[in-house]
Amino acid sequence: MSDIAIGILSFPALLLLIFLRVPIGLAMFLAGLVGLIIVTGDTTIAFARLKSETFTTFSSYSLSIVPMFLLMGHFATLGGMSQALFKAAEGWLGHRKGGVAMAAIGACAGFGAICGSSLATAATMSRVALPEMRKYGYAGGFSTATLAAGGTLGILIPPSVVLVIYAILTEQNIAKLFLAAFIPGLLAALGYVIVISIYVRLYPDAAGTRPRVGYADRFHALFDVWPVLVVFAVVVGGIYAGWFTPTEGAAVGALGTGLIALFNGGLNVGTLGESFMVTARSTAMIFFIVLGAAFYNGFLALTQVPQEIAMWVVEQGLSPWLVLLFILVFYLLLGCLMDSLSMILLTIPIFWPVMQGLDFGFVTLAELHAARASEALSQGLTLAPDILASVKSALAAGAELTQEQIKALELRGVNAGALARINTEQVAIWFGILVLIVVEVGLITPPVGMNLFIINAMDRKTPMADTYRAVLFFVASDLVRVALLVAFPIITLALIPW
Amino acid sequence: MHLFFLRLSRLMAWLGGAMLTLLILLICASVTGRALNGMLHSDMAQGVAPGLATWLLDLGIGPINGDFELTEAGIAFSIFAFLPLCHITGGHAAVDVFTQRLSPRVNRGLRLVTEAVFAAVMVLIAVQLNAGMLSKMRSGQTTFLLEFPVWWGYALSLTGAVVAAAVAIWMAWIRLQEAIIGRDLLPADLGAEH
Repeated sequence: MSDIAIGILSFPALLLLIFLRVPIGLAMFLAGLVGLIIVTGDTTIAFARLKSETFTTFSSYSLSIVPMFLLMGHFATLGGMSQALFKAAEGWLGHRKGGVAMAAIGACAGFGAICGSSLATAATMSRVALPEMRKYGYAGGFSTATLAAGGTLGILIPPSVVLVIYAILTEQNIAKLFLAAFIPGLLAALGYVIVISIYVRLYPDAAGTRPRVGYADRFHALFDVWPVLVVFAVVVGGIYAGWFTPTEGAAVGALGTGLIALFNGGLNVGTLGESFMVTARSTAMIFFIVLGAAFYNGFLALTQVPQEIAMWVVEQGLSPWLVLLFILVFYLLLGCLMDSLSMILLTIPIFWPVMQGLDFGFVTLAELHAARASEALSQGLTLAPDILASVKSALAAGAELTQEQIKALELRGVNAGALARINTEQVAIWFGILVLIVVEVGLITPPVGMNLFIINAMDRKTPMADTYRAVLFFVASDLVRVALLVAFPIITLALIPW
Repeated sequence: MHLFFLRLSRLMAWLGGAMLTLLILLICASVTGRALNGMLHSDMAQGVAPGLATWLLDLGIGPINGDFELTEAGIAFSIFAFLPLCHITGGHAAVDVFTQRLSPRVNRGLRLVTEAVFAAVMVLIAVQLNAGMLSKMRSGQTTFLLEFPVWWGYALSLTGAVVAAAVAIWMAWIRLQEAIIGRDLLPADLGAEH
């Protein structure tokens, strides 16, 4: 049997293991180990890799960001930031039709700005917002569905643990990915608010009314949110401005939220230990999948399967948009069964080479020349007056620069290679955000939406079926958003310089 | 006996968390040091109080040397130390939509096989990590900046890996008993909260 055949056969074997409830990390680890043994003929190489690979996988500086963000999210809860956010949002929105639900979404978005995990956001905000929604007569299924959807904002709005993993898998810049997630994250929150206002008009019984809050109280509540703003600005702003690496940003954020929790009296020896336990469980779960994926992907790379698949897709000559559509639909279906991180670790090593081989043509060479030319001009490049005038008029008219002008501007380094690098990065960022959204939809789609389970467990009086029915509205809003982001890549890429 | 392993796992998780906290403090100290160093070198500090600025710089205010490699060695320990708690509380992500339809008997059988293989893998990881540590000891490899032996990091991580292997064997033993007596001793998923 050829190596490629073994590589291809490993897919159904792996899926069988996963569907037999073998933990996903273990399943990938086994598939990689057994595959490596079959391909190399004996256990020598496979076992030799184990000598250092577990250690090097776990001792990764860039991955150490994951436990730090998880701890930071827990400290933020202990520091009462979830309450402060919800109170402020409720003050401003609560009296509207469906306002308490909108406030829950707003608070989730705010909490997402300091927490990198969906499950943590959903669980934390539910503890605060669910009792309040029930108190003001909001229907059970509507309330739980709102919070499940709101929880997904935890991962869409940076910082985001899943984006960190994606960035490492595709070797992209974490800061740029965080920045790109920002507008789609806000769009998500806006979409959910629109869904709520439609829902309460279709089912007027689903929401009660809540009295108005005076402006003095509103501003007072808004003022209490300052720690969230400071932490977000320092962490995400600092990473982007280059003050520190993403790992350093996570450490600063964890210390900052820890200190806030300490001053608010939420952090003591007992709750610190509890934070360690929660962080330990999630971290170990994530890293065991990362380890399994590293092993499995090492084996796959040896069999050349990812390159072969990528080449095959390119040879078919399909429209890149059609391929993208297939991939996104595949994620939506798989998301009904699997958690987001496992899906990303399992599929990105296959799909990313495919996406890299496709040409979406975001930036053309003429555009790149024009952009670099205006940069050079704004930096005060000295040119002969006649060339300067002709370049300026060409830029103003949006015309392509001539060879002569390009030579005079010393733009010869700006060639097809540079263009390809920029386009690859643009596709990587855009694709990353799209994947992030479709895998997050998996968190709220029946039958195994993790967010639905977590929140339903907190409100045992509400039947799961009610939650399922109401959450479909939010899923619809997610799908509309994905369609928008696919059709207009500029929404995602607007903030990314090239 | 189960309580013993649970407490051991919690202890390891606590130690891992303490290490994580130390690393966070270390990194923040390094970031602060770097920022102060930049400020003291700036024209303003050198112009206003050159003596004080130079004195502080001579004290060694600046980024912490080798914070990168300390983080790498420390975080590996944290993660190995986190593994036992995740394992003993059934925290590893799995897909259970299909197995829900199967009978409890078949499920117990599947769980037994899975946990036995899991235990074998954890033992293999610990044994090979030990082998890796021994080879780093023999080669005498040291880290780039601080030049501490690389095997120190391995040795720290090995404690976590050994406890994880022991816990995995214990869980396999429990599943074996469950399969024999035909009754669940532990709930399948202990604590769904994340």
